[in-house]
Amino acid sequence: MLRYILSRLGQSLILLLIVSFIGFAVLTLAPGGPLSQFALSPGMTQEQIDKITEQMGLNRPLWVQYIDWFTHMITGDWGTSYRDGQPVLHVIGSHLFATLLLMGTATTLSVSIGSSIGILSAIRRGSLFDTTMTVAAMIALSIPTFWFGLIAIYIFSLNLGWLPAGNMYNIGDQSVLDYLRHLILPASVLALVDVAIWSRYMRTSTLNVIHQDFVRTARAKGLSSRRVLLKHIVGNSLVPMITLAGLQVPMVLGGALVTETVFTWPGMGRLFLDSLGYSDYPVVMGLLMASALLVLIGNLAADLLIAQIDPRVRLD
Amino acid sequence: MTDTEKTTSHLTRRQALMLMGAAGATGLMGPMAIGRDRAFAANADPSGQLVLAFSQEPTVFNPLMPHIEVDEGVYYAVYDPLFDFDPSGEFFAILAADVPTVANGGISADGLNWALTLKEGVTWHDGTPFTAEDVKFSLELTMDPEFRSFRSTGYKLMKNITVVSDTELTWEMAEPFAPMAAILASTYIIPKHVFDGVADKNDSPLNTAPIGTGPFKFKNRMAGDHIELEANADYHMDGPYLKTLIIKYVPDLNVMYTQFKSGDIDVIGLQYITPDHLAEAETLEGKVVKISGQATFESIGLNTTRPQFQELAVRQALYAAIDKTSIIDALYYGVPTPTETYMPQQSYYYNPDLPKHEFNIDKANALLDEAGWVRGADGIREKDGVKLAFSNSTTAGNHLREQAQQFIQQTFLEIGVAMEIKNLPPAVMWGDYWMNSEFDSVVVGLNTLAGADPDTSDYFMSTASPVLGGAGQNTFAYNSAKVDELLTKGALSFVPEDRKAIYQEMQAVIRDDLPFLPMFQYSVIKGWKDDVTGPAPNVNNRIDSWNVRDWKRS
Amino acid sequence: MTSAPLTSPARRPVIQSRALRRFLSHRLALIGVIMVLSLTLACFIGPHLLPYDELHIDLRARFAPPGTGGHIFGTDPLGRDIAARLFHAGQISMAVGFAVMIIATAFGSVVGVISGYYGGRVSAVLMRIVDAFLSFPSVFLLLALAAFIQPSPVMIALIISATSWMEVARIVEAEVKSLRNQDFVQAAHMLGLSGRWIMFRELLPNAIGPIIVAASLTVARAILLEAYISFLGYGIQPPLPSWGNMLNGAQQYLASAPWLAIVPGVAITIAVTGFNFIGDGLRDAFDSRSGGR
Repeated sequence: MLRYILSRLGQSLILLLIVSFIGFAVLTLAPGGPLSQFALSPGMTQEQIDKITEQMGLNRPLWVQYIDWFTHMITGDWGTSYRDGQPVLHVIGSHLFATLLLMGTATTLSVSIGSSIGILSAIRRGSLFDTTMTVAAMIALSIPTFWFGLIAIYIFSLNLGWLPAGNMYNIGDQSVLDYLRHLILPASVLALVDVAIWSRYMRTSTLNVIHQDFVRTARAKGLSSRRVLLKHIVGNSLVPMITLAGLQVPMVLGGALVTETVFTWPGMGRLFLDSLGYSDYPVVMGLLMASALLVLIGNLAADLLIAQIDPRVRLD
Repeated sequence: MTDTEKTTSHLTRRQALMLMGAAGATGLMGPMAIGRDRAFAANADPSGQLVLAFSQEPTVFNPLMPHIEVDEGVYYAVYDPLFDFDPSGEFFAILAADVPTVANGGISADGLNWALTLKEGVTWHDGTPFTAEDVKFSLELTMDPEFRSFRSTGYKLMKNITVVSDTELTWEMAEPFAPMAAILASTYIIPKHVFDGVADKNDSPLNTAPIGTGPFKFKNRMAGDHIELEANADYHMDGPYLKTLIIKYVPDLNVMYTQFKSGDIDVIGLQYITPDHLAEAETLEGKVVKISGQATFESIGLNTTRPQFQELAVRQALYAAIDKTSIIDALYYGVPTPTETYMPQQSYYYNPDLPKHEFNIDKANALLDEAGWVRGADGIREKDGVKLAFSNSTTAGNHLREQAQQFIQQTFLEIGVAMEIKNLPPAVMWGDYWMNSEFDSVVVGLNTLAGADPDTSDYFMSTASPVLGGAGQNTFAYNSAKVDELLTKGALSFVPEDRKAIYQEMQAVIRDDLPFLPMFQYSVIKGWKDDVTGPAPNVNNRIDSWNVRDWKRS
Repeated sequence: MTSAPLTSPARRPVIQSRALRRFLSHRLALIGVIMVLSLTLACFIGPHLLPYDELHIDLRARFAPPGTGGHIFGTDPLGRDIAARLFHAGQISMAVGFAVMIIATAFGSVVGVISGYYGGRVSAVLMRIVDAFLSFPSVFLLLALAAFIQPSPVMIALIISATSWMEVARIVEAEVKSLRNQDFVQAAHMLGLSGRWIMFRELLPNAIGPIIVAASLTVARAILLEAYISFLGYGIQPPLPSWGNMLNGAQQYLASAPWLAIVPGVAITIAVTGFNFIGDGLRDAFDSRSGGR
């Protein structure tokens, strides 16, 4: 077990190395730069910009910058944001809560709704409900998330005036209720695609379980279908869902980025876009690394959990 | 705000503008006295909260480091300059006891020796007394080779900055430089003691917890969302009248407007209300909505080193083929003002007698025909192997500009000119592409002035073009011996009337040469709740909060 | 890189008629085909039937609501006919989608087949790279790339491809690995055929089923991604219309001219749903285990 974890960690490190290299190359090879935002400021001259470029070490060869960045990164120093001069980890940390709140709410919504739909579809396989949900899920997967957000804003904020069009809270209010009001739209929009995915997977997973021996045995023993359903089917079909949850991390994170841009949600997605706009490479790199890290941890945790729960899976 | 107007209205414009005067103007001027010190009026207890929204996020809190417009929104609340411009372009003292002039002995007759007296009893937000050492430190920091300074223009001419006493300091100038006062007006003074023991001055505590002498103290910042400021009870001028000032970041202009409408935002700041919302905004109950001019002008800038733009006839034809009126009235809902120059119309130096633009496709065609540009098979004009085709760039994602570009593209096509739109992400657009004149043409909004001073050497002097081997912002690569001469003359002259003549002539020369095709002077739509008093337009400052010390809620 | 795994004449009947029959009896798939076909037809024939040119600006007709003045979908802020723009945009958006499909599928197949055929260290390296690309949320990577390039349809197609080839690579790798030790491959070895021949003439055609499924889903994904980056202003640049850049700016007029947002969004949804339906049908058709519906 320990060996397995260690080798997985080793692989993850190599992955991170590749990820960081790709990201760094893409960012620094591109034209423009972090100082271009000051180009239109009065009194800013090329001379001044050149001087600052040198002070910031941006004129060094790429590989030197990369090695410098990388060696600092692995010791926990992720650099300083060009925009506000704060440590990158601090900058990311201060946006983490908003994103986790949004992702968490959306995931809770989608897991509970999606799983229920999936199980019901599987049990009533071929029914009208099943067919409708299959088609609905595919349509949901086809709607551009950002556009769905726009339409939701159009209906629920602009026309009906029920919910705010953006932001996480009203300054001065900030009660739980206030957060909830602001959460409803973005979380629902983000959850839409996930509900579709979860319902599909849960349906397949439940179908697999239904046909397994122990369910038949349970039924044969005369257990009521409801008990069979709750105890055996649901429990067992959730196991593969844990892996799915791990694999879903990049999707949900990507979705959160999209949703945050439409709802001006002050999270990591918003930060990513702002930082891109300003060529704030340290923060962009930090976000890329952090998301890659989240994804890797998600996968690893899922595998380990499965091994704990499901006796059929052995890791060694 | 009214305070400022009252106290300065008795000064003539001539007096005010000559307060920097050196050339034999002594004796004409009375001292600049703006009676705004605390001693004259006891502050009412600050009360209430105000939410001011910007569509960009302020992130740089050391005002001497490179920053953008929106950052100054915070500086005006937290820091103070020595003195500043009021809306009419006149100075009023803030940290200085009075604005240095030749008359009050602040500036020597040759403009080379300056003496500054500071207010007494001013303290930093942490209680430390403010002294001349802080001013010296701030001025010198801008030229510290290790420090990432936001500019060097002007500062690099200052020598021998000497602290005479806690409230007095003097310095010498390497040469007379008329715009120096305007530069000082946008120099916020920072506390020296905060830098004690700080090895890397780029990484000082100011970056996270700014300490100033301004009307508001920095309380906390929720990155990506808002900054909370609280009243400085010991402020050295009248005000503040607000207990809490929240500077909120709302990245989307529609959301910002919606929140203004719903009352979540009290004052709508930078980037303001979009023109398409103007008609609706004016009908909102309980809100004040005002259009106010900005110093920025919008133009189609030409890279004058390109072969297509060498001929004056071509530039004239292009200008005649721009349907300015339609662009302003339809796309911008009539909000901005058409202009023929870079100088804001509110400025003392504005030249109102420039030739008026006329949209005339026939005239444009005639001009090109006459100059020998012949239409090819594809309908695009050509002469001596040069095709009248070029690209036009601006920041990708600026919808109104993109609409204007497409509209211009269509009218240009009518005169046989192919303009290809090639917009770029901001970091690329305003990097080397802009600085080193790698573009053919751009749509750009520029403010070429420093405050109310008319000097624009950085933008129009031929030696200020990086692509011509100079250093500066002359990215149009404009090269005119006449303009160079006028700019040099203007920077050395301290007499406003003389300078007015110089800069008006220069505007005429540039209007004739057309290195850029002027479109309009920016106007923005500001809005605030009707129980808010204080916000006032000021074309000489870049951002709304310039007088935030005066803002109140009734 | 265009080793044309999709078009090479296969020796075995690659697409068994059974699969085709299954596909044709798949109701959703047929609906999908109809949706995609009619949209494609509309995009290519529609512009010729409309009285307006997609680039023609008429400021007097700005913001005409749908159905007025002969504008079936209304006009945009410059008074251009939205229907005309929508159809032209469709040509471009779908072209990008198909280009991505071809590039990503070709590249992914090559990586997959090489990795699956050689196995061992080659496979380890290639698959780690695949994993690395997969561990970025693709939107992050896409924007990071798009923010710094000259946005032209070709570049957009290339960078979307750069974030879309991994799935195919994984599928092909798994398929090829399982086929590697089968008799016909061993026979090919003994005949002295080159590795390249075996990979692309023997192994790849046998993995064609899953590749086609992945390809159809790639089109759907590419259309969505193009829409998103163009919506943010980093994608295809005006005046060239795309469904995404038609939405760019629509947010601003959401209250006053909602059709600006609704029309292109519906078009995107129809196109993507169509491709997803087709993909679903193909999956069922090629999957011998599932009995169809």
